[in-house]
This record gives sequence, C-alpha cells and structure tokens, in this order.
Amino acid sequence: MGTPAGVARWCFWALVALVHPAWAAEANERVLVADPYLELRTGPGRGYPIFDIAERGERVEILMRHTDWFKVRTPRGKEGWVSRAQMEATLTEAGEKRTFRDVLFDDYLARRMEFGFAFGTLRHDPLLSAYAGYRLHDNFVAELTIAQSAGDFSTTSLYYASLVSQPFPEARWSPFFALGAGRFANVPKSTLVSAIETKGGLANAAIGLRYYVTRQFFLRVEAKRHVALINYNSADHYNELSAGAAFFF
Amino acid sequence: MTKLTILPLLMVTMTAVLPAAATAQSAESVPEPVIPAQVDRRDVHIPKIKANDVEIGAFVGILGVQDFGAKSSYGLRLGYHVTEDFFVEGTYARSKVSDASYRRLGIPIFSTEEVPLTYYNLSVGFNLFPGEVFVGSDWAMTSAVYLIGGVGNVNFNKENHTAYNFGIGIRVLPVDWFSVRFEMRDHMFTSDLLGKNELKHNFEMTLGAGAYF
Repeated sequence: MGTPAGVARWCFWALVALVHPAWAAEANERVLVADPYLELRTGPGRGYPIFDIAERGERVEILMRHTDWFKVRTPRGKEGWVSRAQMEATLTEAGEKRTFRDVLFDDYLARRMEFGFAFGTLRHDPLLSAYAGYRLHDNFVAELTIAQSAGDFSTTSLYYASLVSQPFPEARWSPFFALGAGRFANVPKSTLVSAIETKGGLANAAIGLRYYVTRQFFLRVEAKRHVALINYNSADHYNELSAGAAFFF
Repeated sequence: MTKLTILPLLMVTMTAVLPAAATAQSAESVPEPVIPAQVDRRDVHIPKIKANDVEIGAFVGILGVQDFGAKSSYGLRLGYHVTEDFFVEGTYARSKVSDASYRRLGIPIFSTEEVPLTYYNLSVGFNLFPGEVFVGSDWAMTSAVYLIGGVGNVNFNKENHTAYNFGIGIRVLPVDWFSVRFEMRDHMFTSDLLGKNELKHNFEMTLGAGAYF
C-alpha cells in the first residue's frame, strides 16, 4: 500500500470511517443460487466486465441494490454486481417455494410514495410542476402539487392538494381523474406599470393517463381546468395541459 | 374500508363497479404445507435490502450570465436513479449578477450594483458512457459521462424566467455511496432586460459531491 493510489485510498477510507459510522455488522439477506451460476460484474451496468461467478448451491449475501443491480458477496469473499434478471431465479432462505422474484414483486407492491414532475402550458405560458403522492388505496392517490408559470407578463404560483382516482390501477395504460383545491398567486413583472398582485383560492379538476414504463417508473399526461377564486363575485378559468414523468419510492 | 367512507361520493361510485384488488394481503399469507408432518419452523420475512437510488449532493461553480459577466454559484441537488441509464434530478442554486460594467458607462441596469440570482430546475439525465476510472494499479472506480437537460426557473432582478438547460457531465464513484461530479451546463432563457426580447445563453461549470441513500 505504498503507492500514491493506496495512500489516497486509505485516506479516503479514514474519512469514510469518520462520517459513516452506521456501517455496523448487520445481518444481510442471503439467497441460494438455483441457476447454474450467477455472473458477478465489476459495476452496476450491463457493460461492466464479468470477473467472477457464484455456482449453483452456493449462498450469496446481498449487500445493496442500485437501480436493477444487486451487489452480492460470495462465500469466497468476492463482491460484485448481479442483474435483477439473474437474482430473480435465486431462492430465499425462507424456502424452496419462495423465489427472490416473489420477494422483489412484494417490494414493489409495498411502495406507496410517488414523486413526479411535469412540464406544460397554462394560458399559453410555460408551466413547471412537481408533486408528491401517497397511495391511500389501490384506486386512490393523495397528491400535493406545487407549480410555477413564468410568462412574458407575470409569474403565477400554484399550490394545491388533490385526490386522484385510478379506476384501473393494474392497467399499463391507466386513466385517472382528479379533484384538487389550494391557493394561487399572480405577480406581474416589475417593469409593467400599474400592475397589481393577485392572490386567492384555487379549485381544479383533471383527467389524465398514466403509462407504466417499468413497475417503478411511469409517464403521465393530463388536462386540467383551474378555477381561480379571486373574490366572492369573480372567478377565472384557466386550462392546463401537461406531460411528465413520475416514479415510486 | 373506513378510508373509503370519508372520500367524496363521486370517487366511491367510480370504484364501486371495479373489482377490489386484494394484492396487499399476499405479502403476509403463507401457503399451507402439503405434508403436515414436516413441522420445521421457518421464518418467512420480506428481506430488507438497502437501496441507494437517491442521490443528495451539493456543488460550487461559476455561472456566467449573458451581458453581465460571471460570478461564483453554489447549490443543492436531489436526484433519483430510475434505471442504470436514466436519472431525474432537481437542483436549487444561488449566485449573483452584477451590472458594474454598465455603471461605469453611467447606465445602471439594476437598483443596486449586485443583485441575487436564484434558479431551480428539474432535469432528466442519461448515462451516455458508463465505465470505470483507474487510479494507479489497484483502484477502479465506476464512472459515467452523462447528458442532462431539463426545465426550470431563473430569478434575478425580481423577475422570473422560464429556463431550459442542457449539459454534459462526468460522475465518478470512489465508493458505492459517494459521487464526485464535474459538469458543464447552458441555462437558456429569453429576457427583455436590455430592450429587446432575445434568448440568452448562461453557461455554468460546477464541481459537486453527492451521497447515495
């Protein structure tokens, strides 16, 4: 370890030990290799070279997951990355009837938080929005959205909560309906004369469509009708069209 | 079903016609043994596998605002790695813009010589060239050259500008949970600050570090 790289590495690990003390020996999950072998790659990606294998009948320890890749340790102490497709064929310690594939599927079903963002138009101005959602039930998601539209004459900010109904949650192309309520603020550009800031309540209704690219990642498009409640006597209507991406935690 | 009763009637009728999925129960149920004599107790549990798909990071850099010179910038990032190819990321950063050169000519643009600039954006990244970086003979670090682009907002001089960004960067991971990133990005927006509404290119070069969770 006299090489500069070795010294650099030891300095780095010393730093790691200081800032990351939570690396106590925790019992990792072990799975049994059922296929002829598991291929261990040097990195979490399809292009990384295969440098070792774990054979049928060996138990490997799962250290972590990064996207669809699992870092495992073989009984001989080698650590490498295995694809999800290969991991799915392994057996858990719980028994022969339960493959790791079932376990992964349960993991996806258990995910209730989702997060996404979208880009679209509101009254012909560009609109950027982000939302966080929580699945209350198979058919219902509660969402919190913040959105901002910076147009040529003014900036509009929207904050609202909505309840989304998904009648076909299992479908790959899944339509949804949403009702929401919240607040909005419209601030005109400072260069405009006699411009006044407008604030008020907001209600909206939307229809849209989700397309599940993977079990975890989906695209969504929606058309939304906003009603801006400025005072007791006046309400303005604005249409929004947006498209975006979202994923489950 | 108590949750359902509190939901609006409209939503209830929407789902009433549809089969209620009972998938949530399958995780807990254990199949009945076919041969009862085998009484060895087995602990069935759902394994907890540590995932590190979320990346939290900070960066410092230099942001050049067209017509106004360059200033240091700093910011925070929150990203999520969806697949080995794609990631999504939100960024919030601060910098400053100065009209000192205009003031020297006697035509100040801003109310004060230096005004704060903040921006945020939501971007999608694509790991174009994943690979490894070698340091010496016994240390290999995974790396990726990535393209990134997205939409956001740039605010300075009390005005918001919808901004589109596009850039390229390199990410190196000394260990599985830590990343170092070097990035070049162009933040583009239209502005009429100097009398004519036109597209402005604002280049930023950053060096950042992040941790995976």
